[in-house]
Amino acid sequence: MIRVVTLDPFDDKQLAKLNRTLYTAFGVGSEHSGSAEVPAGIGDPLDAEKLLDQVKGIRAYQDDKVLLLTSRKLKERELPSGVAPTQGFARQGKDRAVITLQPHKDLEAAFKPVARQALHQLGHLWELHHCLDPRCSMYPPWTPSFSQGEPIFCTFCREKSEQKIRLAKS
Amino acid sequence: MPEGSASLQQLAVGDRVVYPNQGVCRVTAIDAKEVAGQKLVFVTMRREEDGAVVMVPQAKVVTIGVRKVASPEDVKSVFAFLRSDSDKADLDWKQRARTNLDRMTQGGILGLAEVVKDLQVLSELRPLPTKERELYDNARHLLVSEVAAALGTAEVNAEDAIDIVLFPPGRERPKRTAAEFARGDEDDLGLEGDLLGLDGDLDLPSDEEPASESDEESSSEEGGEESEEKESAEESAPKKRGRPPKAKADAPAAGGEPAAPKKRGRPPKPKPPEVEGAAPAAPKKRGRPPKPKPPEVEGAPPAAPKKRGRPPKAKPAESED
Repeated sequence: MIRVVTLDPFDDKQLAKLNRTLYTAFGVGSEHSGSAEVPAGIGDPLDAEKLLDQVKGIRAYQDDKVLLLTSRKLKERELPSGVAPTQGFARQGKDRAVITLQPHKDLEAAFKPVARQALHQLGHLWELHHCLDPRCSMYPPWTPSFSQGEPIFCTFCREKSEQKIRLAKS
Repeated sequence: MPEGSASLQQLAVGDRVVYPNQGVCRVTAIDAKEVAGQKLVFVTMRREEDGAVVMVPQAKVVTIGVRKVASPEDVKSVFAFLRSDSDKADLDWKQRARTNLDRMTQGGILGLAEVVKDLQVLSELRPLPTKERELYDNARHLLVSEVAAALGTAEVNAEDAIDIVLFPPGRERPKRTAAEFARGDEDDLGLEGDLLGLDGDLDLPSDEEPASESDEESSSEEGGEESEEKESAEESAPKKRGRPPKAKADAPAAGGEPAAPKKRGRPPKPKPPEVEGAAPAAPKKRGRPPKPKPPEVEGAPPAAPKKRGRPPKAKPAESED
């Protein structure tokens, strides 16, 4: 089950649309499971790693995947090879991910790129790596063409995610 | 001897090693066991990713290719290699498969990076076939987990660090053509196709891919340029298949009437000339014509109805004994 938890107010219709998109992509149920507060001490821009570790008040089962949705900016990450633009963050194989609407204003205007980012981060939760296919949502998200694509997976990534989901269920 | 395996003679419990094609493992025990009457020292390793356990005889550790986890300096050299502008990829799939297999087992972290880089460059020419896509995913997974272990960071950060080099932010990947991959030594003899007596129209199967993957490869084997040229040539002069058209012997002279289109099939029978005033002919009945009746004789008895079946046997003539 995918649980979408909002850290800021969002339109219910758009959230329902996002849930439908996630259900179509992964084949598992997706629902809006309420909202949570950003922990005190995490200032803007939000540090994604700290946020995932410290956010509280989320009720989920062990094999659920939680997607945090915020309209605030996430802090770029300093990596050994450079700076990674961060519009979302998820640890491989874990159960929590966060995405931001930034640089877009609202979910309605930027539904496709946000949904694609959601698929990307949830894919990391199911241990998918970055993909070579520019049409796939697992393509590196900082490339210019990423925000113009549809929220879908390529055949390879879809099959791999289905396999991981099956293994998690059994 | 595989890279990084020189210092494996002094393995200790708690060391982190890389098992080829399996990933980062931790040595959990080194103990002697008796197997089939022989006393052997086994190194027990537990894979960090999922806890799978493998036991290897200590004498085989080096030959298998087990090596220490790469150092941060090795990771820097990997980033430098990935950043280099390499546009060479082997177009011969057999050679490529063999090379990649060696790199995966014996090449160390740089071998993994070479597999990832080569397949990524190749994917800029055409989509990877399924087997190589799986190989790319495996190599990437092993590279990411080793870089994460070497730098002591999360896997997602290690993957992003690699991909920032492979896919620089704000830039799209270039489209490549087969000409870019052509080796310089292929045309050393300087023989053109005409000199060899070949006009390039031979319909030989490509040696690039095995038969099972031919459908994925056939569309883009020779790259975009050649196929585009062929397409444009076909558009200008469409090549017809099958028997060539016959030359028209009785072409109409200039200014003459064009000949009526020749009808196919049996020519119609000539109709008999109709006589004026004659009664119209009765419509012809179809089927077998009736048998002509024998002329009836007046006063004769009516013929007995014909008996059906076998005629009776003729009685033998009685003798007068």
